[in-house]
Amino acid sequence: MTRERFISEVRACQGQLRRFLASLCGDTALADDIAQEALVRAYVASGRFIGNFKAWLFRIAYNCFIDNLRRVRQPAADLDAPEALHVAGGEESDASFKHEELQRALARIPEKERTAIVLHYFEDLPVKEIATVMDIPSGTVKYYLSVGRDHLKQYIRL
Amino acid sequence: MKDIEQYLRQNKPETPDEGQFIIETNARLSNVEGIKGTVDAERHRGRLMLVIALVAGLVIGCLFTLFVVFFPVPSIETELSAFSKAIVSLKEWEALLLVPVAACAIALGVFLMNRKKEVL
Repeated sequence: MTRERFISEVRACQGQLRRFLASLCGDTALADDIAQEALVRAYVASGRFIGNFKAWLFRIAYNCFIDNLRRVRQPAADLDAPEALHVAGGEESDASFKHEELQRALARIPEKERTAIVLHYFEDLPVKEIATVMDIPSGTVKYYLSVGRDHLKQYIRL
Repeated sequence: MKDIEQYLRQNKPETPDEGQFIIETNARLSNVEGIKGTVDAERHRGRLMLVIALVAGLVIGCLFTLFVVFFPVPSIETELSAFSKAIVSLKEWEALLLVPVAACAIALGVFLMNRKKEVL
């Protein structure tokens, strides 16, 4: 793959890639760093690439996220912290507040459930593609989606 | 279940602007290409040195074999087997044998030094 083609492919999906990573790690600056690392890895390996570029790139990015998670083990969310217990109420529930609330809720569920939820509901990836990105069977993805939804319900007032 | 699905779909975060991201990506890819070029050049040099070492060893070995064949030791020609004759000839020309061995050792040394630089 030439550099020009690589850049044009990246241009087409960089927004989704960065949103995916930002939703996973809850920090846009860190998400951009991980995205850059993933793009460098992808470019180095682009000679061997065959198939769906977006799914392939998301898989590399997910692996980079996991590597980063292993390097810097983040402390688990404090469930007693006031901001963690905060839920949306009638007039307060504007769009940005809902986003913050959702981000906090996502941060509190296990990483695999979060990944499946983000890929399915934010990036509109079908279960089969999520299975490819996460390198797990489709049935396991469905399980993570189901359990993830149940966990999110505990932290979000609908 | 429908409620939470609807909630997630409705509150999907917006995709960030391209902004500086593609410019930074391009800069990083340029750096990667630079490093890739240097690594490829070093690898090519390493392979070239290996080929030179092999050819040098082969040529010197052939020359030495020809020398042994065309200049046998006359005094023991009839009494020994072919293998023993070769051994005796090697013993006779041991000083000369050191030349290809040394050449191979030097070539190998240069090759290994090159490899070490590549790793660093």
